Amino acid sequence: MMVGKVIKYERDNIDTDVILPGTYLKLHNYDEIAKHAMEGIDPDFHSRVKKGDFIVAGKNFGCGSSREHAPIALSHCGISGVLALSFARIFYRNSVDGAFLLPIEIEEETYKKISDGDELEINTEKNEIRNVTKNEIYSMKPFSEIVSKIIAAGGLFKYKPD
Amino acid sequence: MGKTLFEKIWENHKVEEIDGRTLIYIDRHMVHEVTSPQAFDGLRINKRKVRRPDLTFATMDHNVPTNNRSLPIIDQISATQIRALENNCKEFGIPLFGLDSPYQGIVHVIGPELGITMPGLTMACGDSHTSTHGAFGAFALGIGTSDVEHVLATQCLVLDKPKTFEVRVDGKRKHTHAITAKDIILSIIKKIGTGGGNGTVIEYRGQAITDLSMDERMTICNMSIEAGARAGLVAPDQKTFDYVKGRKYTPKNYDDLVQNWKENLNTDSDAKFDKSFTINASDIIPQVSWGTNPAMTADVTDVIPSPKEFAGGDVGQESAAKKALEYMDLRAGMPITDIKLDRVFIGSCTNARLQDLVEASSVIRGRRVSASVRAMVVPGSQQVKKQAEELGLDKIFQDANFEWRESGCSMCLGMNPDILSRGERCASTSNRNFEGRQGSGGRTHLVSPIMAAAAAIAGHFVDVREWV
Repeated sequence: MMVGKVIKYERDNIDTDVILPGTYLKLHNYDEIAKHAMEGIDPDFHSRVKKGDFIVAGKNFGCGSSREHAPIALSHCGISGVLALSFARIFYRNSVDGAFLLPIEIEEETYKKISDGDELEINTEKNEIRNVTKNEIYSMKPFSEIVSKIIAAGGLFKYKPD
Repeated sequence: MGKTLFEKIWENHKVEEIDGRTLIYIDRHMVHEVTSPQAFDGLRINKRKVRRPDLTFATMDHNVPTNNRSLPIIDQISATQIRALENNCKEFGIPLFGLDSPYQGIVHVIGPELGITMPGLTMACGDSHTSTHGAFGAFALGIGTSDVEHVLATQCLVLDKPKTFEVRVDGKRKHTHAITAKDIILSIIKKIGTGGGNGTVIEYRGQAITDLSMDERMTICNMSIEAGARAGLVAPDQKTFDYVKGRKYTPKNYDDLVQNWKENLNTDSDAKFDKSFTINASDIIPQVSWGTNPAMTADVTDVIPSPKEFAGGDVGQESAAKKALEYMDLRAGMPITDIKLDRVFIGSCTNARLQDLVEASSVIRGRRVSASVRAMVVPGSQQVKKQAEELGLDKIFQDANFEWRESGCSMCLGMNPDILSRGERCASTSNRNFEGRQGSGGRTHLVSPIMAAAAAIAGHFVDVREWV
């Protein structure tokens, strides 16, 4: 069970240059990288986010560059999952491979119902999102078989095929 | 039923099926300084070797200065990252085209140039624009750092089989100098959107694609990722075979390979694509992006659309367009040719090959960059730079007051000192107009090299068809 508050961006195509601007790709230390997460559109993000929090956003989240620094930055700030209408492929893959955060696909209706600041409880075994603030329950799109296994193992390098 | 070119390459590289995914062998792995340090750390921690250092090639491009190379790098953090790649290549036995190499350059420019990129191969690189290599009929995939480590250790990737997407560009361009490959790909992305290619490998087909040179096909395939595609490719033909011949890493059995490529690397006439899109080249005119993603693009003869008009009923798109206009400090109804520029950047893996520089130079002879504009040319590689200088292009650019620089990614992504200041507006031949991409608060308009060069002279966008 994952518990946290929502930071919502009502926009599609949040790209990796916004999630972590290119100038910080020089940095090697994850905590240093995290200080600049979302700096492109939300300079206060790093100071606002608490451990376990979720980002909620529109379509094609994480489009653009293949920089794994993007999910690293979010995860080292405390973000445990991103709930979006859809994800760009490389961001999705990087998030799962490195076990940085859970990329969770949600329906348009759910996206509309969740507000900034809502508290959510996410149960990935039941594919269920509970909105504690609004006392509502939504479903999430289940992970594919192999993605579930990689998540359960704690990342690509810990995963061993059956 | 027949098979598509991509499906044939996929079948040829299958190692085994694992939990519903496929283990795919990677023939060539390109490495650069930004997405590799953590991958090498991972190898060291787990006491692993690079499985095929002979199939792995490294260069430094993202973070390198493009001014005088004989001077030390001022930014110590950049210098550390560059040194880390040098040390990693030495430790793991990987060939490196470093700062002092005559072959240094943007990873997607040097791969083809050195004959590392070839038809029918699978290629990977920790960079989303790896799709560029698809121009040779290769399956070339951008990956993140965990996958870089995985390829270094195993020479394989675990993948879901992508769907196939046919993008046809039929007919002929009306003006082959002023209407470029960049205008074709921007027109495609404008129509199919930034997610139009999600989950697919695009095969670009049709007369207008066949007509393109290899440099131009690379521009097209390069931006496949901007439509969300996993990769993009073009079936190889005589132009491809001629390009690959006699390069540094071209195999000795080249003639046999060509025979094999001719027989096998094409889409069967009865093959079916999962989806298809067609555009007619004769409808395409020079393009300029006005917003903050590459689909927010218009004909140069147009005005900036209103968010409502642009969105066509999609609420998300409408609010995105509003935000974009605000960020770009533009208003709906303004003619594209009225947009005035502060900076011009001719460079990047999209448009910094020799043909791009030749085309850009064709509109500036005897002219000078507008007094209000600072313009720079950053060749894609040291080889491109050398060839351009042999043609005297450096002189043409410098006489017109363009800066002529050393090769690297430069202002495409704003990692090195080549960045926009807050509020500056740039005509850029790169691939992404995202907020802050070229520097915090900077504003990017994506265009072709010839448009960028003409705009540098005029100080604003122009219908470049009237210039050539």
